[in-house]
Amino acid sequence: MKAEDVRVCVIRIEGTNCEDEMANAFTMVGAQAEKVHLKQLIGQAPASMQRSLEDYDVLAFPGGFSAGDYVRAGAIFGARIKSAIGSDVKRFVEAGKPVLGICNGFQILVEMGLLPAIEETMSESPTAALYNNNSGRFECRPTVLRNDNRGKCVFTSEVPQKSLLMIPSAHAEGKLMSMDPDFVQKLEDNDQVVFRYVCPDGSDAEYPWNPNGSPSDIAGICNPAGNVMGMMPHPERVMTRFTHPDWTRGYDSEDGDGKIIFQSVMKYLEKL
Amino acid sequence: MADLMIKRDVPFSLYDVDILSATDEQLGQISAEMSLSLSLDEMKVIRDYFKKEGRNPTDVELQSLGQAWSEHCCYKSSKPILKEFVFGIDRDDVLSKGDAGVMVFDDDYGYALRIESHNHPSAIEPYGGAATGIGGILRDVVCMGAQPIGLADPLCFGPIDHKGDLPPGIKHPRYLVNGVVSGIRDYGNRVGIPTITGGFFFDEKYTGNCLVNVACLGIVKREDLANNFAGGPGEVMILIGGRTGRDGIHGVNFASADLTATSDEDSRGAVQLGDPITKEPVMHACFEVNARHLITGMKDLGGGGLSCVVGEMALDCGCGADVDLEKVPLKEPGLAPWEIWVSESQERMMCTCKPENVQEVLDIFEMWDVLAIPVAKTTDLKRTRLFWDGELIFDMDLEFLTGGPVYNRPYTLPEVSTKEKEKFPELPSDKDVILTLLSDLNVASKEWAIRQYDHEVRAGTAIHPMVGEMNAAGPGDASVLIPVPGRMKALAAAIGCNPWFTEADPYKGGMSCIDETCRNLVAVGARPHAFTDCLNFGNPEKPERLGEFREAVRGIGEIARALNIPIPSGNVSLYNEAPGGNHILPTPMILGCGLMDDVRKAVTADFKKTGSCIFVVGKTKDEMGASLLFRKFGGEQGAVPDVDIDALKRYMDKLLSAMDEGIVLSCHDCSDGGIAVAVAEMCISGQCGAEIDLSAMMGSSVQRKLYSESNSRWIVEVDGMDVTRFTEIMGDDAELIGITKGNALKIKDNGTVVPLEDMIKAWNEPIWNIMGGAAE
Repeated sequence: MKAEDVRVCVIRIEGTNCEDEMANAFTMVGAQAEKVHLKQLIGQAPASMQRSLEDYDVLAFPGGFSAGDYVRAGAIFGARIKSAIGSDVKRFVEAGKPVLGICNGFQILVEMGLLPAIEETMSESPTAALYNNNSGRFECRPTVLRNDNRGKCVFTSEVPQKSLLMIPSAHAEGKLMSMDPDFVQKLEDNDQVVFRYVCPDGSDAEYPWNPNGSPSDIAGICNPAGNVMGMMPHPERVMTRFTHPDWTRGYDSEDGDGKIIFQSVMKYLEKL
Repeated sequence: MADLMIKRDVPFSLYDVDILSATDEQLGQISAEMSLSLSLDEMKVIRDYFKKEGRNPTDVELQSLGQAWSEHCCYKSSKPILKEFVFGIDRDDVLSKGDAGVMVFDDDYGYALRIESHNHPSAIEPYGGAATGIGGILRDVVCMGAQPIGLADPLCFGPIDHKGDLPPGIKHPRYLVNGVVSGIRDYGNRVGIPTITGGFFFDEKYTGNCLVNVACLGIVKREDLANNFAGGPGEVMILIGGRTGRDGIHGVNFASADLTATSDEDSRGAVQLGDPITKEPVMHACFEVNARHLITGMKDLGGGGLSCVVGEMALDCGCGADVDLEKVPLKEPGLAPWEIWVSESQERMMCTCKPENVQEVLDIFEMWDVLAIPVAKTTDLKRTRLFWDGELIFDMDLEFLTGGPVYNRPYTLPEVSTKEKEKFPELPSDKDVILTLLSDLNVASKEWAIRQYDHEVRAGTAIHPMVGEMNAAGPGDASVLIPVPGRMKALAAAIGCNPWFTEADPYKGGMSCIDETCRNLVAVGARPHAFTDCLNFGNPEKPERLGEFREAVRGIGEIARALNIPIPSGNVSLYNEAPGGNHILPTPMILGCGLMDDVRKAVTADFKKTGSCIFVVGKTKDEMGASLLFRKFGGEQGAVPDVDIDALKRYMDKLLSAMDEGIVLSCHDCSDGGIAVAVAEMCISGQCGAEIDLSAMMGSSVQRKLYSESNSRWIVEVDGMDVTRFTEIMGDDAELIGITKGNALKIKDNGTVVPLEDMIKAWNEPIWNIMGGAAE
């Protein structure tokens, strides 16, 4: 399909707050992005505003503090969407359509059971969680990510393997944990690890380069099929070089490091 | 007193207050017992008004007057002074002076700016006080139709390493800082507006009365710029957002009196409760009804709540209003009408619309699950009338109600610090001096707070609050936003304030605050374009305090006028005095905005490489008064830095044209700690040493050259290849003082060597160590 025909549903509820830049990121790579309130998808809006999930090609969950995140981050949004249109979402994923969750969006995908989803498309209850940062604080800082995916993830198809991207983080709960002691190994075996935090020279990250203490420095993962990805750092914030934190110290390209993630998914869709 | 309060025979709480037959003494009692904060003279004016009306007022009417005539609402002590010095700097590119000022950004957009104080609530309940401060300033920008794009929070506290006892009623500064920063973080991050700049000012004089100033910037399509008043009679007023409760009653009166040892118990009810997750959809829905041009005006409910917003929205279009007060949705049943009328519960806005658009407006709010209830209608009578189930409980002339008294209170001019009486302190080695100044809480890294604030959400932050190497950055001068996606046009924002100069010489201090703001903006390559000011001072009923205020405002007005830079919004916060009457440092907090056509030309303060030339722009004079050096090492008196406005203009023009040519590698404002600290900070952020030699500069004392805080100066790094062109542009206004080199700051004049790693440690660690360190 052509880029201009790609329709992106940027979904939001109260407290979602990164929808403008998420929509803008998709627009910058040629797609049509629409900000859609969950109520519009579940029949709780005036007729003219109602939307249907199946009319979209990409579903994107932006960052923020959905419903305030006063309970576990993402739990309320996750529960609300799953109870209302859980089967539609499952069908959407099984049709191979891309689903992206950034920051709070990642937390929502985990709460919904769409990630890590090691056994099935959407597990009934969450099998992982994003825990409080080791520092106990909200951390807004630059982070460097290495693409550790071996080719499955549709959001990194254009990113050279093992290459580094500067994608900033801003969260209080980003440590990916699971009850399963073999969790990381299983992700690794399934090629579900997408991004790891590293130092700027590519060596293993320590705080602050791993801002939350996530085991094995995991910053982003995908489902076994590779079309659902969640990550804590914010690629939509670095679509241009001029929002990088250190661009005045020199740069090669005017594109920001986040753009290639959105370009990757567009490439994938163009081939469909 | 009890016999003067006559309960009316209605099924709700309403009293007629017999002021017509009250003695003067009883008038005073009424004011005190109803917490009206009205003086006897003011009560007499009110009695005269009701004599003419031929009846006694209700408790609702008296409470409403207490709100409208408070210092906070009607600026009764400050207005004549503001009028004399700062009002009326008009330019064509001022688009609005509403609840927030709005200036031209480009042909299609305007930007909004506003600063406000939330001092007294934060002193009592730091978390809630700061959070609701953010909520309030956001609403001021939203009701211009503008999308908030950046928050800025300059804060003043007592020393956070205070040891020993504190007077009764005073909370430890460390506790206050923690609470305030958490409040800003949790509210700002949750609503998704980046906190892009701010500042911390620490001094003993803030121990009893901290300052929490909050500022917000916004962006609005010029065609969507909203009014803060109704369009005419016959319109519907719709109350939007949160429910009304007992939180935040008498907030404006609390803000218009000194803090006392028992403020904590007495006034906790004056602190409102914030809810960012109600606010966020309120903003979305307000933008939607505004962008569809369904409404005629909107205004936020801040100080005074409904009692202020209804009258102002009506009067500003020459109308009056009839309010059905029982329709206001409540948090709990049983509030008296007067409580509903003056409550400052958060997250509320009012909009006005034509009757035919009401349903469509309500549908949009419904979509966002935001409560919206029509509560009033505008009338062609210039009166506000309140009804409760049809019973008239309030009927007042709007001009009388909102007119308020104005006072020309007596003032005495302050004695200023002079060179003649100067006592230069004994100093340790310059290495020790530099490390000591770098670790002063006012200079040291604020990373502990900065990284708890999301300063990048909305993806428009081009120059961040910390600059230099990633995760090893140093202090920036101004933050820069690119608010319109796809456009390179940029908006810079910076705080400028020097309360110590202002205390030592309020007039020069006022000028210095503006000078510093301009320096910060120019340091990143932005041309200063507008200011908003929050004037935090002491009790205006004390002539010395009012004298300080008057002189500082005179300084601000004089320089702003000479630069022809407007101040389209601002705020005055008086009565900042601690229990026992200790007053704060006079603190004129300035937020400046600057414009740049192309963000790609922005400059940051970190040294970029070794081997470049270091210049100082501007004249370094023997002006040690109130300098960081004197404060730290016990110097006394001394000349407070003056501003040569013509020179400032010339330097700014030249520096900006050099930046436009792309030959400025880095640039940093020269302020606290003088040249020494400015160069050291550029070393820290650039992870690079410097060798400087001040022998060619005028003056005999190296230490005065190093630590003088003369205004209108910048440190600039220029590549050797561009030095000729740079000096061509700058002429005599820039002086070569050294090169970037090695891994230490070396001062050739006296052989001082300060290793880079010592400077980084001295600057980096103090606040982390006090507030709680990194994760490990």
